[in-house]
Amino acid sequence: MNKILNFTKRNLKEVLRDPIIYIFCLGFPVAMFLLFFTINKYSNGNTPMFEVNSLLPGIIVFSYSFVMLSLSLSVSKDKETFFLKRLFSSPMKPYQFILGYFLVGLFIGLLQTIVCIIAGFVISLISNVGFVSVGKILLLIVSQLPILVTNIFLGILFGTIFNDKSAPGICSVFISLAGILGGCWMPIETMGGFEAFCRFLPFYPSVYIGRIITNATNALGITYSFNNVASLGLIAISLFMIFSIVFTIVAFKKNMVSDK
Amino acid sequence: MDVITIDNVCKNYKSKKALDNVCLAIKQGELFGLLGVNGAGKTTLIKILCGLTKKTSGTVTINNFNLDKDIDKIKEIIDISPQETSVANNLTVKENLEFFANIYSNNDASTINEIVDIFNLNEVLNQRAKTLSGGYKRRLSIAIALISKPQILFLDEPTLGLDVFARRELWTIIKKLKNSITIILTSHYLEEIENLCDRVAILSNGKLLHTGTIDDIKQATGSNNFEDAFVKIVEGQYE
Repeated sequence: MNKILNFTKRNLKEVLRDPIIYIFCLGFPVAMFLLFFTINKYSNGNTPMFEVNSLLPGIIVFSYSFVMLSLSLSVSKDKETFFLKRLFSSPMKPYQFILGYFLVGLFIGLLQTIVCIIAGFVISLISNVGFVSVGKILLLIVSQLPILVTNIFLGILFGTIFNDKSAPGICSVFISLAGILGGCWMPIETMGGFEAFCRFLPFYPSVYIGRIITNATNALGITYSFNNVASLGLIAISLFMIFSIVFTIVAFKKNMVSDK
Repeated sequence: MDVITIDNVCKNYKSKKALDNVCLAIKQGELFGLLGVNGAGKTTLIKILCGLTKKTSGTVTINNFNLDKDIDKIKEIIDISPQETSVANNLTVKENLEFFANIYSNNDASTINEIVDIFNLNEVLNQRAKTLSGGYKRRLSIAIALISKPQILFLDEPTLGLDVFARRELWTIIKKLKNSITIILTSHYLEEIENLCDRVAILSNGKLLHTGTIDDIKQATGSNNFEDAFVKIVEGQYE
């Protein structure tokens, strides 16, 4: 356990001393919140998906893709500078490396969630609309843990497989996918077959479940409720989470003894 | 007593033979040099000995532990300073040393202080690694490798890219370590090998061409200086 905490501490220091985390992981979600709040304010209520209770789960899910970016950069840089190679010759085990990165991702993800909730709360006060109760906030955080875990492991996986030049490129594809296919700010429920497709990916079901908890209203004016989108979505999210964990462990172990 | 025995080790990268039936024995407390031009197989051999790359065939024993079966035990007694100055760039010098000390559960502050003194790192102790000069980074990299108090230390091109003064400073430090631990040093700087090493193995295209002391090698090739002897061996003018 000491080795995991020692490695986590080092990773956290490295991440917190890099300005990218403040720009992308904390600043960007808040900026998105402000942008959509402004759009909603001037659209005379024609954009229900930009209401704070609908926006909050979407922005939380979207912001987690930046955790993936941050971790992929951390791992790929450690690999490119041969820092990891040096550690691979130490008595540290693969699970200790992976948990050392994972805990940092979890910390950043939870910090982002808190920042998003505070931003949402402030916006709800400004726009004079009711905000989610404390109990539901806690439930929202727990409900989004699987997509956070998926993003963390994908970040470690991309950092392990790709170098520090190509990993951010791959992550930007996933960031776009999370934004578009997650329905964070797009009324996917009005898009028929496209919505059916999005149900099989982890982003949209995560946002959907979050919106059930925040009592959000969709673009059709209907309140989100626990239906087959949510129940099938839970299976999709779980499968993606399991696959990301398994692939990461296999790739990382293989990388520890390689010809590179 | 031989602390490392390498027996018929081969390493193939697809069609290329990086190591071709290498046999070598390294004695305890020896400063052993692996010499060769770029691509000779020096780094590949070190990576194999550290468990970072799998050999294709052959047997390696380190401190009576078999590399294939006892890699975890071997990792407890070895350390490496890789060719690249692989340090945590956003951590200070002190944080780097503490981090690696904790990896080996060696929290003894006196060890860190001792190493800081040996490597003259006091004046940059609270400086982040990324702001250090090349010479200091190299020193930190080797200091990190010693924090675990290894029985066997691998130094892969320890003075690569350093100016003559920084290189000589590092030589002085490496000489101080002599006899207390077994050091395997790779380099393609002949004067470095000549200055530091008790014995040398000359590699070329993955093959071990010659092993011996500097004087043995000069004598065997009938050369007055080590450079001529090295060239004769690598160019095949001497069998």
